Amino acid sequence: MNTHPYLRAFLAGAFVPTLGLPLMLAGFVALRLGLQVPFPIERGLVFPLALVPCLWALWNMLWIGSHMRTGLPIGLHGAVLPLLLMPGGAVIATCLGILQVGPSGVTWFHSFYVPYALVAPAFACALAGYYLLWKYIVGFVNRVLGIA
Amino acid sequence: MKENDENHMKHLLKHALPPVGHAEPVRDLWPAMLRRMDEHPAAPPWLDWVLACGVAIFAVVFPTVVPVFLYYL
Repeated sequence: MNTHPYLRAFLAGAFVPTLGLPLMLAGFVALRLGLQVPFPIERGLVFPLALVPCLWALWNMLWIGSHMRTGLPIGLHGAVLPLLLMPGGAVIATCLGILQVGPSGVTWFHSFYVPYALVAPAFACALAGYYLLWKYIVGFVNRVLGIA
Repeated sequence: MKENDENHMKHLLKHALPPVGHAEPVRDLWPAMLRRMDEHPAAPPWLDWVLACGVAIFAVVFPTVVPVFLYYL
């Protein structure tokens, strides 16, 4: 059962974001095709549908390869990931035109205004959410697949 | 190697290595293993509950950040 641990780590890491794919696709179909929302939502789907699952998978492979040396719990390892994801996702969103930076806040998807005062608490919540997801779900899948 | 040498070597090995004694456990370990596999995992610590509640409350109070969270998931 100890064969191909990195392949299993990749699958375990991609598991959680992949669970959200059908929901996102359903939301896209409902908003864009059903309600005829004029905003091109598909631009914003590139990051969560393609890059995020890949990054989760690679991040889990990194944990499998390093936790014997570092001793870092998987929850804390996962909580570090938003430090890379948030700036990268914001840059991509800005380039794709789904994030507008204003003088007092940012506007996502031409609809959701987030003031700068809310960015830091939202980031803290993202860290907490990632910590919990990695500790309980990714850790569980790693144990099921026999790599943790 | 002559047969006498082989016998001598066997004799020396038998005396050098201690006897194994009871090679099998005194009781069947498999039921205990099954019980352990069936045990429920420990409850999450209070800090994790606090974090989960904090994230949920934040999403309820500021629903505009939920699509942003989904974008990063």
